[in-house]
Amino acid sequence: MAELQADFAVTAAADAAAPARRLWRRLEPTALGAGGIVGLLLVWQFLPDLVPMKAGTKLFFTVPSDIAGTLWRMFATGSIWAPLGVSAGAFAIGLGLAILAGLPLGILLGRSNVLNAMFDPFITAFNATPRLVFLPLLLLWFGLGLWSKVAIVFLGALFPLLINTYEGVRNADKLLINVVRSFGAGEWDIARLVVVPNALPFIIVGLRLAIGRAVLGVVVAEFFGAQDGLGVVMVRAASEFKVDVVFAGLIVFAVLSLVMTGLVKLIEDRMSRWRPQQVSGD
Amino acid sequence: MTEQTVIQPRLMGRYRNVVLGALAVVLFFAAWQAIFLVVPFNPLFISKPSLIAAGFVDLVASGELFDDLAVSAVPFFLGLGAAVVVGVPLGIVMGWRVRIGYALDPLMTIFYASPLVALAPLLVIFFGVGLPGKTIIVFSLAVFPFIFNACAGVRAVDRRLIDVVRSLGGGEWDLYRKVLLPSVLPFVVAGARIAIGRALIGVLVGEFFAASEGIGFAISRFGDLFAIDKMFACILTVMVIAVVLTEGIRFAERSAFPWRRGQ
Amino acid sequence: MAAYIQARNVNLTFRPPNRAPVRALGNFDIDVAEGEFVSIVGPSGCGKSTFLNILLGLIKPDSGDILMHGKKLSGPGTDRAMVFQDFGLLPWRTVEHNIELGLELKKVPAAKRRAIAARLSALVGLAGFEHHYPHELSGGMKQRVGLARALATDPDVLLMDEPFAALDAQTRDLMQVELLRVWREAKKTVLFVTHQIDEAIYLSDRVMVMSKRPGRAKKTFAIDLPRPREYEMRVTPQFNELKLEIWNTLKDEIVV
Repeated sequence: MAELQADFAVTAAADAAAPARRLWRRLEPTALGAGGIVGLLLVWQFLPDLVPMKAGTKLFFTVPSDIAGTLWRMFATGSIWAPLGVSAGAFAIGLGLAILAGLPLGILLGRSNVLNAMFDPFITAFNATPRLVFLPLLLLWFGLGLWSKVAIVFLGALFPLLINTYEGVRNADKLLINVVRSFGAGEWDIARLVVVPNALPFIIVGLRLAIGRAVLGVVVAEFFGAQDGLGVVMVRAASEFKVDVVFAGLIVFAVLSLVMTGLVKLIEDRMSRWRPQQVSGD
Repeated sequence: MTEQTVIQPRLMGRYRNVVLGALAVVLFFAAWQAIFLVVPFNPLFISKPSLIAAGFVDLVASGELFDDLAVSAVPFFLGLGAAVVVGVPLGIVMGWRVRIGYALDPLMTIFYASPLVALAPLLVIFFGVGLPGKTIIVFSLAVFPFIFNACAGVRAVDRRLIDVVRSLGGGEWDLYRKVLLPSVLPFVVAGARIAIGRALIGVLVGEFFAASEGIGFAISRFGDLFAIDKMFACILTVMVIAVVLTEGIRFAERSAFPWRRGQ
Repeated sequence: MAAYIQARNVNLTFRPPNRAPVRALGNFDIDVAEGEFVSIVGPSGCGKSTFLNILLGLIKPDSGDILMHGKKLSGPGTDRAMVFQDFGLLPWRTVEHNIELGLELKKVPAAKRRAIAARLSALVGLAGFEHHYPHELSGGMKQRVGLARALATDPDVLLMDEPFAALDAQTRDLMQVELLRVWREAKKTVLFVTHQIDEAIYLSDRVMVMSKRPGRAKKTFAIDLPRPREYEMRVTPQFNELKLEIWNTLKDEIVV
């Protein structure tokens, strides 16, 4: 509670305070956030110097500078491009198929009560179950390689898209539907003028979630059921105790995931100019 | 009775949706069973409901299924429990102490957004495929929903309510009990729903890797053995468990926090 | 004068799922002459808004005849337009594009739409706000958009469903004055539903009081106050007498 009061007090004081103080108020979140990250990296970097480690433990340990070096080498020699390309292919095909299937199905279920009631148990079941559980089955069906990866990515990305599209369609304001109907609009006009524009922000949020799930799908599928791809590089590295390579791979996946979701967020902000504030995610 | 309600389609009755859903499930299994009357059946790649049921009965009778589930349940609940114990207090501190929130927010976001599962091979090699390794994987995946939701719960506390309780003579403890807790708890429970899914992934990843027991191991072993019936039986069991857990939490949310209905 | 809108014995019962059916309208009658401004007041839930929705063509009555200009009513049409209580603006469209909605559905060419929207923006006092989104407008401004949108398709009849209920008291008074000005210029037949007796008297040629559910016409009052009406008219003895008379008719119908 002391914190809360202090907060208001500082805000009030800041109006009168020197510009430097006000600038700090504005930069504080960024500065502290960056400080948190840098602090963690520093502690990690110097941990081997601070804490005595057994030789066995050292084998599993790596520091940020090593990881950065490995990452640099992977890009400098170009050794990352081939496996990354394989992973990206599976990701793109799987996500693309999920969008192609998820959006129309979501709109359909959102507009039809009967279909919705019939599909509901399946969607609930598949959404609650980690799709990873199907991996051994998919490997059996599609074999090691691209298509079992695509299948797991598809299954992972489908449901956030489907469910968010559905929610967006459902959420369409009854009043607005009545308004356009009163001007003589048919089902198609209602979809075009009210349902789809209303659902778009939901769909974009779904896409953001789907990207995260799809990356996850690529990673786990490559751990267990592939012969090449960045995930495969990581598992091999782990079994050879090249811990820095594992972290380098993680960082590549994480950065790609963050960049893609960031791009989607940009689109989201652009498209939501008409909204007073953000819509919430899942 | 507002005029708007009229325009909604008229429903047949209270149980219509449940009936339709059940009907669809029954139809699905019937069609699955029936399709092999037309299409040739290859027991190496696909199974049908009657054989899956028989496999399930086998697994239950021999006790295998129960043993595997019991093995998997331990790291699942240990990891999830540790995630609650660590994640909720950390999230509350991040939400309540503004500067700590600033400092940790980006870090946690990065952890949450990156496919942490990618560290699983490392964790498995470091901690082994037994209980510690699996528990740590589960924990590292499940802790973030608790952190974020507890934090969001604290930040969502209506500051006017704090003033109200204060003005009525409430002390620090009353604030925690009457304002903070009721606000944070629904968020934490909603986080648990997400965390359960991630914890299941953790268990499966751990067991797919190199375990020698557990439900994930059973699924991949039956796959290797082309024992498709039993594999399907295990997969369906995991699905049922996942649905029961998440829907159970949903139900608990609805009955414990009726004021939040519709969120 | 032949009635322009004529409704006879209109009946409607709602049958919501899992609940008891509700009789909303019971043998409801009304006549409105061309160019007339008629208000309907009645207790909450008496079916007055429902009747507007029936006139708009969104709801079909169970029985009864509704004639417009001597023709039987069938579905929505561009001869009627509604101003909705909660504005019903498409939040992702600017003011201009909201006004153009009905024209767009009538397949009016873009250039002509723009010209009409510009003219109506000016008429309702929205000039300069054409490119704003609804969330950037005050409640009064939003309802000006609602009014302009309804006028855009040049309907014969304007249906207004408690259009000012969501506004604060001062804005509401101002909007009533504005509405009379627009009505004088646009020359429409108006059917106006409200809870406020003041509002009904100030605006209307006639005020109809409805009974509680199932709603029917209880009594209609002719408002013989001279036009154009000034705001000051609201404090004249004549106005207050009418108000008391209407209130006495209405109060027995209000169920608390």
